[in-house]
Amino acid sequence: MRLEIVHRTAYSYAEPVSTSHHEAHLGPRDDERQRTTFFDVAITPTPTPLRSQFDAFGNRTLHFSFGEPHRALEVVAQSSVTLTARPPVDLEASPASEVVRAAVRRPRRRDLLDACAMVFDSPHVAASAALAAYAEPSFAPGRPLLQATRELVHRIHGDFIYDPQATTIATPLAEVLEKRRGVCQDFAHLGIGCLRSLKLPARYVSGYLLTHPPPGKPKRIGADASHAWFSVFVPEAGWFDFDPTNDLIPSDEHVSIAVGRDYGDVTPLRGVIQGGGAHEVSVQVDVRTAPGIIP
Amino acid sequence: MSDPEALSSDADFGLIRGYPQHGRGADELVGPGGAIRAHWRPVLERLQAIGAAELARREGKARLLLREDGVSYDAYADPQRNEGAWSLSPVPVVVSPDDWPAIERGMQQRVRLFGALLADLYGGQQALLSGLLPPDLVFDNPAYLRPCHGTLPAGAHWLPLYAADLVRTPDGRPRVLADRTQMPVGAGYALENRIVLSRTLPEGFRACNVERLAPYFRSVQEMLKARATSHRDNPRVVLLTPGPYNAAYFEHAYLAQHLGYTLATGGDLTVRDDRVYMKTLGKLLAVDVILRRVDDDFTDPLELRADSLLGVPGLLQAARRGQVAIANPLGTGLAQAPAMLAYLPALAQHFLGEELVLPSLRTLWCGDDESLAEALAHPVDFVFKPAFSPRETQTVLAGDLSAAALAELCARVRARPSAYVAQERIWPSTTPALVGETLAPRSMVLRCFAVTSQQGTAVMPGGLARAGDQPGADQVSFQLGACSHDAWVLASGPVPVAGVPPAPPARVALSRGGGDLPSLAADDLYWLGRYTERAEGIVRLGRVLIDRLQDYGGRLDPDESGELTALAGALAASVGLHFPAAADLQPPDSATLLARYEEILRAAVFGEGRGTLSSIVRAALRTGRMVRGRISLDTWHVLASLDDSLRAEGGTLRDDPLGTLAGVLNQSVRTLAAFTGLVMESMTRGQAWAFLDMGRRLERASALLSLLTTLEHRIDRERALLEAILEVADSGMTYRRRYLTRMQVEAVVDLLLTDDLNPRSVLYQVEALAHHIEALPRVEGQGVKGPEQRAVVAALAALELAEIEQVVEVDASGERPGLTALRERLSTGLRALSDALSTTYLSNVSPGVTPSRYTVPYGAPHGAEPDSAGRSPYGAEAGSVVETGSEEP
Repeated sequence: MRLEIVHRTAYSYAEPVSTSHHEAHLGPRDDERQRTTFFDVAITPTPTPLRSQFDAFGNRTLHFSFGEPHRALEVVAQSSVTLTARPPVDLEASPASEVVRAAVRRPRRRDLLDACAMVFDSPHVAASAALAAYAEPSFAPGRPLLQATRELVHRIHGDFIYDPQATTIATPLAEVLEKRRGVCQDFAHLGIGCLRSLKLPARYVSGYLLTHPPPGKPKRIGADASHAWFSVFVPEAGWFDFDPTNDLIPSDEHVSIAVGRDYGDVTPLRGVIQGGGAHEVSVQVDVRTAPGIIP
Repeated sequence: MSDPEALSSDADFGLIRGYPQHGRGADELVGPGGAIRAHWRPVLERLQAIGAAELARREGKARLLLREDGVSYDAYADPQRNEGAWSLSPVPVVVSPDDWPAIERGMQQRVRLFGALLADLYGGQQALLSGLLPPDLVFDNPAYLRPCHGTLPAGAHWLPLYAADLVRTPDGRPRVLADRTQMPVGAGYALENRIVLSRTLPEGFRACNVERLAPYFRSVQEMLKARATSHRDNPRVVLLTPGPYNAAYFEHAYLAQHLGYTLATGGDLTVRDDRVYMKTLGKLLAVDVILRRVDDDFTDPLELRADSLLGVPGLLQAARRGQVAIANPLGTGLAQAPAMLAYLPALAQHFLGEELVLPSLRTLWCGDDESLAEALAHPVDFVFKPAFSPRETQTVLAGDLSAAALAELCARVRARPSAYVAQERIWPSTTPALVGETLAPRSMVLRCFAVTSQQGTAVMPGGLARAGDQPGADQVSFQLGACSHDAWVLASGPVPVAGVPPAPPARVALSRGGGDLPSLAADDLYWLGRYTERAEGIVRLGRVLIDRLQDYGGRLDPDESGELTALAGALAASVGLHFPAAADLQPPDSATLLARYEEILRAAVFGEGRGTLSSIVRAALRTGRMVRGRISLDTWHVLASLDDSLRAEGGTLRDDPLGTLAGVLNQSVRTLAAFTGLVMESMTRGQAWAFLDMGRRLERASALLSLLTTLEHRIDRERALLEAILEVADSGMTYRRRYLTRMQVEAVVDLLLTDDLNPRSVLYQVEALAHHIEALPRVEGQGVKGPEQRAVVAALAALELAEIEQVVEVDASGERPGLTALRERLSTGLRALSDALSTTYLSNVSPGVTPSRYTVPYGAPHGAEPDSAGRSPYGAEAGSVVETGSEEP
């Protein structure tokens, strides 16, 4: 599957912004299932400077800033990726949770150490007794980790209502758990929180999802959105993605941009501005199959 | 228990007669056999010669010296002033020559160890992969800052500055209680202690060959200079402080002054094109090195804590690009976690192949199962501390708890063991402190300091000792009312005299008449000038009103006291009170009228509104606090005393409200005059003074103009009003000298508006403003005349061309339209001038706006329109935009 993504973010400020500094995670990752064939970001006005580097999680990170007054900011990221469908995952073949827990407890290898780092609390996701209690029914002793996680994801999808009005970035996870409402980011945090509360490694994935218009209707431009899901670690096999918002295992319609402990590590675009007054933001995301290629 | 007899027979030391030991710890002065330790003898002999009474007197003198220098710690004690006054014992701690070489080597070794550890943890993390360090100590440690990976140039040492708190255990060995790798606070206090003690005990200091501290501070200067990556021969160094509300702000200001660096808050710095600049009047100055006194996670709201208002957006990227050197580097707080102490012996073997020269107190990290079991088996033997926070206030002495509290502590530890360490509880050694007429033993901690550069690690000979204020206390900290002692390391021979403090290095920028006044400081000085002048205006007006009311003696005829209505209206307007129009102010009897005036006066002085005298004085104090390093301490005391007296009265006007108010205002006039006098006499005529004076001039001109509005409508008792106006404007004497008792409105208006010889005329203020503005640095890229120059020229022209006879002409309805027109024109001009100053010098470079943050929110429903409006971007709640440049703070 080849996908093309256009992610446009536009800010307009009521007052001039005199200086600003920004950090962005907008470029796709490269891994065994995903290859970036094209990535470009166009920023208006022209920033001084624009730098691309990799952060501590291996994500492509852009830093840019402005020293001249401006009243608007537009960031358009365009990328093309080639995705390989994931072969069906044998959930039952994965090791039991307690085996995974033990393997990352005293890690002596880089991949295990990186997984171990994902067991600990992070600013947006802290383990709690309530999260452990919610997760536990799926994680019976001896049960394969991936099978248990798949069930957890299914339960989250069933128990929680997708409601963009219910939460904000600042809503604590405990409140999401209590209200049973939220958006993809909350559900990803929820899944991570459940696993971490059982001392299992889980990380946040930000990216995009190819969406399909209702039957018989054309796909609307800009109708897509940034998406988020989570993944769990299986020693000797690597990270496995789960999408609790859509109750599925991502395959070749999920494009991953960045991974981190939680949303705070991988925010698509953030900044600190001086001046500006009130501001308006508009975000448009388009994900479509590359022309001429039959999916 | 030592034998007091042994002491007194040891020598005739009356000072230490009966010097007891609590018997559980070692003592610095007295050895195990009860004999005075040899290294103390020369010092004790001098103390003995001085005698207890004289020592006590000198302790008082030291206290005075410290007060005069404004030494304080813990600003939270009283946010207004006299913050946690610093106390210094007249008795130094004498460091044993047997211990010192080991302490020095031990400090140097720990610097090498922590340097290697930090480089590893922000690099390949072999310490974790080899299993020497549990991953929790890094990944669960909030001081581990992932964005700091790769922000230090290769080969640069991770720990240029380091401090350790040392205690002596009962076995006599010095050990490390805690490490300070984030921002080793205290070296400035040690220097101040030394300066004060060398003046308090000059004979002891000279005779005992005390090693000097100056070389340490020179090493700090050399280290900072050597870390610069650009302008290597003359780098610009700033000391980054959180500001006056930080507990150790005194030290920041003090160190900056002694090391010759500019003190800067995050708001004074800006990052452009990956370089750090200091915002000064009209231009940006490149900063090469930052001596950091802001916690590392607060230094960059973009990449680190987004809620920080103390940082500099983009700082981390500037460091990553090698454009600025920061000491200590960002991320170094990771190493000072108390939990790290448990693993240092193994890490020292791993990284250095050495045993620790200076071992730590035995520390167990409860996240380790065996350690937890040991700690909970005998909890009373331990001190429990947070595993990752160095805050001493959260220390719990398990042995001092009630059974219930102990059980509760154990439950807390068991619930989250990895969050705690258990450190062996020891009795620290005691050192003599002056208590009444004798010396008494007090537990003590010694903080030692090290600075590391390419040349190696230099350890400050001595340090900052703190002793408990109660006998038998075994925990000592800044927070717990401890008393500090100077620590002396004695040399075997005479110590060459070096300048203490070190002379500031010659710097071109400093000789340009303070050309690097940060914009924020200029802004604060400007508002300090405005606030103090505004306070004076309110006081003068209020005083005259009271005086007139007292003259009437309670027999007020509403129809025969029009000047009072005008004055009260002017007073209400000047403090922003709503005041009924004159027509509505016709109450039936004089008692009601008097009560109304009293109410206005009381509200103007003590009211809660933001324009009242109390509020203005508080605002002046608050603003003055931001620039404490730029105004003299006496000036500061004057401001503080004014606030004190207003608070003391507190608006409780008893039987004689007018008399009480008059007393308060008379006192205030004198205090404000003292402030102005000190400013005039003690401030150098640089940019700092210029901005303070411009604030005063602008405010005085505005106040005069609003006073003249009372003349725009002619009243019956105009003569009385003119006299009052002259008195408010402090121009009565001048007037009488010129015109004797003839009260003419044009003469009064001329004197107050256009007389260039009257220091209280509007013209005089505008001319002074013109003079200041002429001397300000010109902003590049601006036309021949800046907007502030144009504004001042227009105001001058309006005043010089004014025909006073025409200005005061009265029309058929009793109005003076000419005066109104001129007054409005001048007021508008002055406002434009203030705005232009703000824009050009205070806000153009320094936008004077609290940075706001935003993040693009996630999570619109799939297949629906992205609903970003319904989500709250970070900036929306954090972005309360506060202007400080063009508006009042």
